[in-house]
Amino acid sequence: MTPQASYQSEAQPLDAPLAPQKSRWEEFWLLFKRNRLAVAGMVIFALFFITAIGGLLLTSGVDPVLDPSLVRLQEKMQPPLTQPNLDSLSPGQAPYLGTYLLGTDELGRDVFARMLQGAWVSLTVGFVAVGISVLIGIFLGGIAGYYGQNHIRLDHLLLTGTLIGGAVMIAVGRITWGSGLLVFGSAYLLFLFFQSQRQIESLPPSIQIRTFTIDTLIMRLVDIMLCFPTFFLILTVVALLPASIYNIMVVIGLTSWMGTTRFVRAEFLSLREQDFVAAARALGVGDLRIIFRHMMPNAVAPVLVSATIGIASAILTEAGLSFLGFGVPPPHATWGNILSDGQNYIFDAPWLTFIPGIAILIVVLAFNLFGEGLREVLNPKLRER
Amino acid sequence: MNKNILLSVDDLKVYFRGADGRASKAVDGVSYDIRREETVCLVGESGCGKTVSALSILGLIPQPPGEIVGGRILFDGRDLLPLTDEEMQRIRGNRVAMVFQEPLTSLNPVFKIGDQIAESIRIHRKIDADAQRQRCIQLLEDVGIASAEERLNAYPHQLSGGQRQRVMIAMALSCNPELVIADEPTTALDVTVQAQILKLFKVLQQKHNMAVLYITHDLGVVSAVADRVYVMYAGIIVEQGQTAQIFREPQHPYTRGLLSSLPTRSKRGQRLYSIAGSVPDPAHKPVGCPFHPRCPHAVQTCRERFPKMCDYGKGHLARCPVLYTNRNETA
Repeated sequence: MTPQASYQSEAQPLDAPLAPQKSRWEEFWLLFKRNRLAVAGMVIFALFFITAIGGLLLTSGVDPVLDPSLVRLQEKMQPPLTQPNLDSLSPGQAPYLGTYLLGTDELGRDVFARMLQGAWVSLTVGFVAVGISVLIGIFLGGIAGYYGQNHIRLDHLLLTGTLIGGAVMIAVGRITWGSGLLVFGSAYLLFLFFQSQRQIESLPPSIQIRTFTIDTLIMRLVDIMLCFPTFFLILTVVALLPASIYNIMVVIGLTSWMGTTRFVRAEFLSLREQDFVAAARALGVGDLRIIFRHMMPNAVAPVLVSATIGIASAILTEAGLSFLGFGVPPPHATWGNILSDGQNYIFDAPWLTFIPGIAILIVVLAFNLFGEGLREVLNPKLRER
Repeated sequence: MNKNILLSVDDLKVYFRGADGRASKAVDGVSYDIRREETVCLVGESGCGKTVSALSILGLIPQPPGEIVGGRILFDGRDLLPLTDEEMQRIRGNRVAMVFQEPLTSLNPVFKIGDQIAESIRIHRKIDADAQRQRCIQLLEDVGIASAEERLNAYPHQLSGGQRQRVMIAMALSCNPELVIADEPTTALDVTVQAQILKLFKVLQQKHNMAVLYITHDLGVVSAVADRVYVMYAGIIVEQGQTAQIFREPQHPYTRGLLSSLPTRSKRGQRLYSIAGSVPDPAHKPVGCPFHPRCPHAVQTCRERFPKMCDYGKGHLARCPVLYTNRNETA
């Protein structure tokens, strides 16, 4: 057979795809698999997830399988893997597996059960706090990136001032003045909302003065928020608010959105100039649809990475708060307050300190490694060839 | 008004304001007409305002820094400039569609091409998912993509450049627009694919009865596709006419320069002609005729007065009174 003929016989039809038919996920997985540490991180991430959910099921309810708050004073500070002295316990008090897997604390509570309960707290705090911060970050970052070059007009500022002023006046008791300002403000707001561009242009020019851009407003807000030492800001807020796990989640979320905002803004600034955005606009796609359908999926990669690492730092922050006694209130176990209680007995019962400490270390490390691995896969520039 | 005229751009002026407040006159009084089912080419060097004038038809000029200072854009007898965003969105993609220069970056990398083609249909037509799918397959077959049904699930990176441009064309055609603006659709493609795409445009144009505004700097493409040609230089139209008129009897020194810088077989071995100098900075345009610093025929009036369009008959116009009077004197 001549080379010509063999070429002919093996030639693909012209319409055969030129790139390998591999889905994005397969491709990601192939790249991700090469980073052993990241895979280990992901496995621990999954185990932690399962443990936390299993822990919630096992430790909650009226008569939990593993009761994290059952006090057995006669069995206090037993080291891990000790058999319980069944003679001194009533049948309901015996640990589920017939042994104290991770020992007991100074009140004879089962540390294993408490760690399971704490895992769920860490998980929810991590995810909810990061969820809040990512939502705020995407929203503000998206606005700054997409609409950032628009100016805030003087009348917008005056309007905001009027509305805030009105609210403050009502709050301090000057009802007539306050409601007057509020009514005026809302009327102007409605006017702006329903008027066309041309009619707004006919406003007196002194009111149309452009002050600063939306981008400036949002990014300076980010700078200001970054100036605060976050942990102390959280401490202050938590000291003022009633101690509850939900307040902690919200506060951590509200103080950690700045990084995401910067990421999303940067991504949007570059995506906005991409041809496919112009092409979408030429097809008659609206702004909102362009932002959420076309640009967001292209911008989630760095957000996902920072969210994964953000979960680790949220868990760490919550543990720190609980350690200082500002976190989740006492009967509920979290890794931070187990650690905090344990430090008083560090020489008599070192496992009370080391078990939650090592658990925090492993989980935070796993999230960080997983996040780094994701970053490497999603950002082609960091890929090793 | 002539019923046959689909789009009429009248004295359009688009300026871009720089940071120093100086206006950069990207498009400075451009007028052109496109009749139904006609292919019109807009030719000119990079930066002469071709793309800007096309983008302003769709209202896609970023404002600020861009600003449409004056003129009218009549589409089917209706001025597009005062329309609101929502009214504009109903026209974009629906009655006027655009094909962009870079097929490699004009498709969203994270969506399957089927979804991207269907998007425009979904926005402008109320039809169910199954009908959308059928329409997408039909479109892909129209633009010559084999095994269209499987290709709906392909991501842009799985297609070649030519295929992507075909997908872009399918997207543009999805709502049967009356006008397709093609902004250098073949510049990023190699010559064989370019020829296929040009042929495809011709076929589709006849099939769908649409007008095409074809923007290019490639005179070879112009001679292949255009019915009529507008030559742009520094934000103005310098010459317009039927394709044959422009290629056989170019009247403006700029058009002549362009045509004589084309390599041809008779010029083999000779040094190619090039127009001396370079395109003026749109913020500092010369007074008078914008071409006079580079023009071999420039006289004193060229430096003082903005030239008028001179009529050579049968729709052939050129913005060079000097050559016009010369010709008439010698005749």
